[in-house]
Amino acid sequence: MIYLVMLAFAVGLGLPIAVLSAAIAQGKVGASAMEGIARQPEAAGRIQLAMIIALAFIESLVIYALLIFFLLQGKLPATADVLERLAGG
Amino acid sequence: MEHHEGSALVEGSPFVLVYMSWAVIIALTLIAYLGTRKLKKVPGPLQNLLEMAVSSLYNFVEGVIGPEGRKYAPFLATLFFYISIMNIMGLIPFLRAPTSGLNMTIALALTAFGYVQLQAIRANGFWGYIKHFMGEPLWLAPLMFPIHVIGELAKPLSLSLRLFGNVFGEEKIIVILAGLSPFIIQPWLKVVPIHFPMVVFAVFTSVIQALIFTILTAGYITVLISHEQEEEVREAPVSAGPQ
Repeated sequence: MIYLVMLAFAVGLGLPIAVLSAAIAQGKVGASAMEGIARQPEAAGRIQLAMIIALAFIESLVIYALLIFFLLQGKLPATADVLERLAGG
Repeated sequence: MEHHEGSALVEGSPFVLVYMSWAVIIALTLIAYLGTRKLKKVPGPLQNLLEMAVSSLYNFVEGVIGPEGRKYAPFLATLFFYISIMNIMGLIPFLRAPTSGLNMTIALALTAFGYVQLQAIRANGFWGYIKHFMGEPLWLAPLMFPIHVIGELAKPLSLSLRLFGNVFGEEKIIVILAGLSPFIIQPWLKVVPIHFPMVVFAVFTSVIQALIFTILTAGYITVLISHEQEEEVREAPVSAGPQ
């Protein structure tokens, strides 16, 4: 049972943690890219490109978390199963 | 615990996605053939569209790789069109995005990976290619060589998983929101299409994902074909991007 509880926590909390940290990181990337563009508008194209690449790298980490989430979600038992197990002790 | 239906990575027949991707290939080939069959000085609408797309992609690739990047543009532009159309395909009813299956994205990433390695060998020669992996101070080569090789092998993995995860996650979100829509109670409609904003957003992210795949492949080419001395001399061309 403790395994299932831990699994439920992992499914529920793993992705939000990844999303939180990635949101902070992407915000930082976006903010500094904007600063750079404001300082040097003629380099906007190159800065945009580098920004998109950086965002993609950050995003892919969240995507890994999403894949793990889907994998773990498949391992969660059905509700009826859990109730039966609880009734059985 | 026989509960494999929920395991999202195996559901559906993989061949459906393969047929879908064939349809994309055939459609793209047909459009390219019809558009370039009778080339005219004053282009018709289709030729005009194709010329615009091709020239903006060429400029874009040259902006990323540099002036010598023109010879890699056909492959990269093909990747971009192919992937973006495959991504958008999932939004049309009764069709599915081929890139929402791992088979397709792994195939794409391996193709890009093989192309990058081949071009690196062609640009630097085999010995220069190996030397690129050894790093700058040669006495550190025993340490740097395995690191570089592992880093190189991680590229197709990250490329394929990124594309797959994005398209697949997007489709899942749309499915979940569409499943929620009959539960909104209000007097006028039977169902409220609350997934519709997500569909519109998905058109945008589909193109962005294809663009990221293309940019990253171009970036890998840039890293591998560059010689260390020339890298500092190259002046930075300002790219406009295919907006």
